[in-house]
Amino acid sequence: MKTLRAFLLLALVGGGTALHAQDVSARLAGRVSPEVAAQVQRLATAAAARGLPVDPLIQKAIEGTAKGVPADRITAAVRALAGQLDVAAAALSRAGPAHPDTDAIAAGAFALNAGLSDANVTDLARVSAPRHTEAATLRVAGTLAAMGVPATQTVELVTQVIAAGGESADVVALPAQVTAGVSHGQGVTPAQAAAGLARAAAARANAPGQQRPRPSHP
Amino acid sequence: MSGNSFHPQVKQLLDGEITLADLPPALRAEGEEALHLLAAVDREPVTFPGLDTRILAELRRRADSPSFWRRLVTPREVRLRVRPWTLVPALAAALALVLVLARPAATPASSPVTVRFVLFAPDAHDVSLAGTFNQWDPAATPLLRTGTPGVWSATLILPAGQHQYAFVVDGARWVADPGAPAVDDGFGRRNSVLSL
Repeated sequence: MKTLRAFLLLALVGGGTALHAQDVSARLAGRVSPEVAAQVQRLATAAAARGLPVDPLIQKAIEGTAKGVPADRITAAVRALAGQLDVAAAALSRAGPAHPDTDAIAAGAFALNAGLSDANVTDLARVSAPRHTEAATLRVAGTLAAMGVPATQTVELVTQVIAAGGESADVVALPAQVTAGVSHGQGVTPAQAAAGLARAAAARANAPGQQRPRPSHP
Repeated sequence: MSGNSFHPQVKQLLDGEITLADLPPALRAEGEEALHLLAAVDREPVTFPGLDTRILAELRRRADSPSFWRRLVTPREVRLRVRPWTLVPALAAALALVLVLARPAATPASSPVTVRFVLFAPDAHDVSLAGTFNQWDPAATPLLRTGTPGVWSATLILPAGQHQYAFVVDGARWVADPGAPAVDDGFGRRNSVLSL
């Protein structure tokens, strides 16, 4: 009986891996060269085994091929992205869940690529729980960083808005609000627009009846 | 005369509303024939020998083999013998379900969003859009010339979330959107970022 159970477990794990490999192969077929497909397949299989999302790796390979990038540089970019996913997963794990979900990991890697540090990712994951998804918060933070808002100010702004009781829609709207601040102000930079929004959120957070911001490192 | 087309007065006779004497002489013969036919109807009850026995036998047979649903809802005694190790997977599944349900809901902006992409490229012969939303296919989303010289645009309906993209000018030149934030694409260029 024990042998049967072990066999079933192995069959399940093996079957899942085989299905995953087929899926990656099918998505790459006809979109990238066989050489790139083989390398990405290997990297994706290893990433999946570590609990990382494989979709960003597949997308990066397809993107590189569409842009006419040589195969070795595509493979290098996919490998670098896998490394960013690893760093993001570790940063998220420090914030709480031992096995963060793949959507959050992908968003964390994007935030890292946009200029945030792994400590920033951990802080943002901490302030997200429990009312906001880490993925949405990290995507917004990454977008703010890509707009030119410095990393510390990005974390400060998102933290203040959440602490002030902001809903998910309020957080998602932050890049548009910074853009509006830049457009309407005379020579206002994204950093200045973000600082103004953070001050307004802090005032709301400190108003009676609102919760205080959480410390970044409990 | 056909059997079902008696004169209305003959029908009244058959219904007992009038007597044979009330009929006009011309209809008496028809009335008598109708009464004769009525009298010939066999009013003895029809019997099927053994029918009762067969019905009872069928009822007994059905009672002995109840339907699936009847068996399902019929109360019966069930004895459970719990082995502690068998509870582990069930508890793990229940815990996973609780954790999944306890997670915050996804971003509320989950409905598709209409987005207009615009590029000023006065020297371009053709411009297209490639990104994560169309598998980076430069042929998938061409931009059209607008009424303003040199301005190209395309309007797309995209799912909420984050997208990366670039314009492709004349099929070869990849250009980041000057009006959008951008990140390193890993190949020495920049991808524009769109968060919806």
